Amino acid sequence: MTQAIELSGVQKSFGPTEIIRGVDLTIEQGEIHAIIGPNGAGKSTLFNLVTGRYRVSRGRIQLNGEDITNRSTFQINRRGLARSFQVTNIFAKMSVYENVRCGALWNLGYGYSFWQFVARRRDLNERTEMVLEQTGLMSRRGVPAGLLSYSDQRALEIAVTIAGGASVVMLDEPTSGMSSSETEQAVALIREISATRTMVIVEHDMGVVFDLADRISVLVYGKIIATGTPAEIRADAKVQEAYLGTEVN
Amino acid sequence: MTITNLTKPGVGATIIALLIVLPLLTDSGFAITVMSQIGVAIIFALAFNMLLGQGGMLSFGHAVYFGLAGYVTAHVMNGMANEDLPYMPVTLIPIVGGIAGLFFGILIGFVSTRRAGTAFAMISLGFAELATALTLIIVFFFNGEEGVQTDRWIREEWFGITYGPDIQVYYLIAVWCVIAAIAMYALTRTPFGRISNAVRDNPERVQFIGYNTHRVRWLAFSLSSFFAGMAGALHAVNVEHVGFETVGLGQSGVILIMVYIGGTGNFAGPILGAILITLLNSYLSDITPAWYLYLGLIFVLMVMFAPGGLAGLIMMHDPIRRARPRLLLSMLPAYAIASAVSLVALAGAIGLIEMIYFLSTTVTRDTALVLYGIALDAADFWPWLICLALTAGGAYGCARAYPCMAEAYNSAMHEARLAVAS
Repeated sequence: MTQAIELSGVQKSFGPTEIIRGVDLTIEQGEIHAIIGPNGAGKSTLFNLVTGRYRVSRGRIQLNGEDITNRSTFQINRRGLARSFQVTNIFAKMSVYENVRCGALWNLGYGYSFWQFVARRRDLNERTEMVLEQTGLMSRRGVPAGLLSYSDQRALEIAVTIAGGASVVMLDEPTSGMSSSETEQAVALIREISATRTMVIVEHDMGVVFDLADRISVLVYGKIIATGTPAEIRADAKVQEAYLGTEVN
Repeated sequence: MTITNLTKPGVGATIIALLIVLPLLTDSGFAITVMSQIGVAIIFALAFNMLLGQGGMLSFGHAVYFGLAGYVTAHVMNGMANEDLPYMPVTLIPIVGGIAGLFFGILIGFVSTRRAGTAFAMISLGFAELATALTLIIVFFFNGEEGVQTDRWIREEWFGITYGPDIQVYYLIAVWCVIAAIAMYALTRTPFGRISNAVRDNPERVQFIGYNTHRVRWLAFSLSSFFAGMAGALHAVNVEHVGFETVGLGQSGVILIMVYIGGTGNFAGPILGAILITLLNSYLSDITPAWYLYLGLIFVLMVMFAPGGLAGLIMMHDPIRRARPRLLLSMLPAYAIASAVSLVALAGAIGLIEMIYFLSTTVTRDTALVLYGIALDAADFWPWLICLALTAGGAYGCARAYPCMAEAYNSAMHEARLAVAS
């Protein structure tokens, strides 16, 4: 089986500054893969390269065996990769229901059509309700997204991301700014949606990372210094030196 | 009845009945012309709001598609009259205008919708200037400053309709206005309509749910130009003349002001704006030469204090009406007092403006004028003192009454929330 995502020799420079300095990384089908690293290591940049938000300077990125290097974001999304954002990035004036329904439109083949009504498309509304149910937002369906509480907005962020049925989902700090009980709920949600998807997560909360991830990659100063299971990463001397210190032990 | 209910069959039937009966209640030709203008303005305003309110695109040059379609329509009608073109009923001519608008919308929109926000607005401004310049350069099509004359009476159509009498044109416009409004409302509920809203709210995120934002904006722009073109065609039929001013910045500015004053956030907003501004334009411009100053003032006040427009002001009260309509009655005294003092301030301010305007524009050095039906001498001291006193007193009253009005609104909202919660 082909890998979900494969990066080979990916480099990214902003002007003279090299942020990503040659990353080789393989995300396997169905795994939860966490990317960790100190602030400024380039985690968000790496996310933006894979999802097409930035253009890579050198190297190649494949999604399910297909080359997606420097394709536009919407083309990458149509090939089955979706992402959430660290800073909540939703459609503020539209209702929760409408937000999720928009997330499902392209995947269900509605495209730019202006000759059919969204309210009458059964598959569309069934998918929307399923995602709302899954993310616990059903009771908030009529609320304008901009008026949701912070943790509900984070849940909606994930709901919009998964509504398109992408096979690979990338979450950028899904629990940032959450209380411990909210984090617990978010982790449960991520675990649930990972049952049928490949997941890539950037996360600062080490408890969450070691709890959720099947494999972890450590990004330091634009390079992956180690990839392995949580146990292997804990035991890795290079990682301990560069990043983890003693706090995880 | 509120504007949320526009789609209810009862409300729709009432509106259609009104459209049929209204022109029969008057024998003034001017009133019928004004109603026809309102119909054209409503179609154009709704088309403009497809861009601004639904798609988040602020255009300073949407009259380009209105005006160009008007020119095409005038030429097509002239061609049919000369039998250079195959005949089609004038009843269907708005489709020709729509296709012309769509054509130019697709062409120019491809370029201008590549960017959103300020860049889009600037490009639209550029194309508006370009179009105005072209009307004076390409003489064989635009006929320079004279514009293109046309005659809507080509031959007798169904049921003996000739479009000779203005009332027949009114009904033509009314029918197309209803068709266009229904079509544009329907568009808001399609996948395209929803994704257009999404592009307005957050263009970046739209790309991460599979959509090309340029395509979405381009489509919205083209469809909006179709309806703007339809309005342009009806304008050409209505006044039987299309001039260079129809494509220009002035026309584009008026439609922007109409839509903004009516309210961009509600489908009915542009309709309210089109009715109000066309009425004021038709009747007020006869009464006072300072009419544009008042229009500017209304616009500035709306932008500052009611960015949701008239529709926004009305919709503010909808939660209260739905929770407990009786609460609206309890707010009435505070609203009445605020309106009364506003009127006093307004009366004073209008008096001052009219006298200043009169003195600065009169050529005869005559100082006698008629204000509110009263003969005055602007060289006298008393009219100035009275108007100043009214303005100052009214303004003071507003300063006292407006907080009370806000308080009345807030407490009614509070009670409405409690009523809903229980």
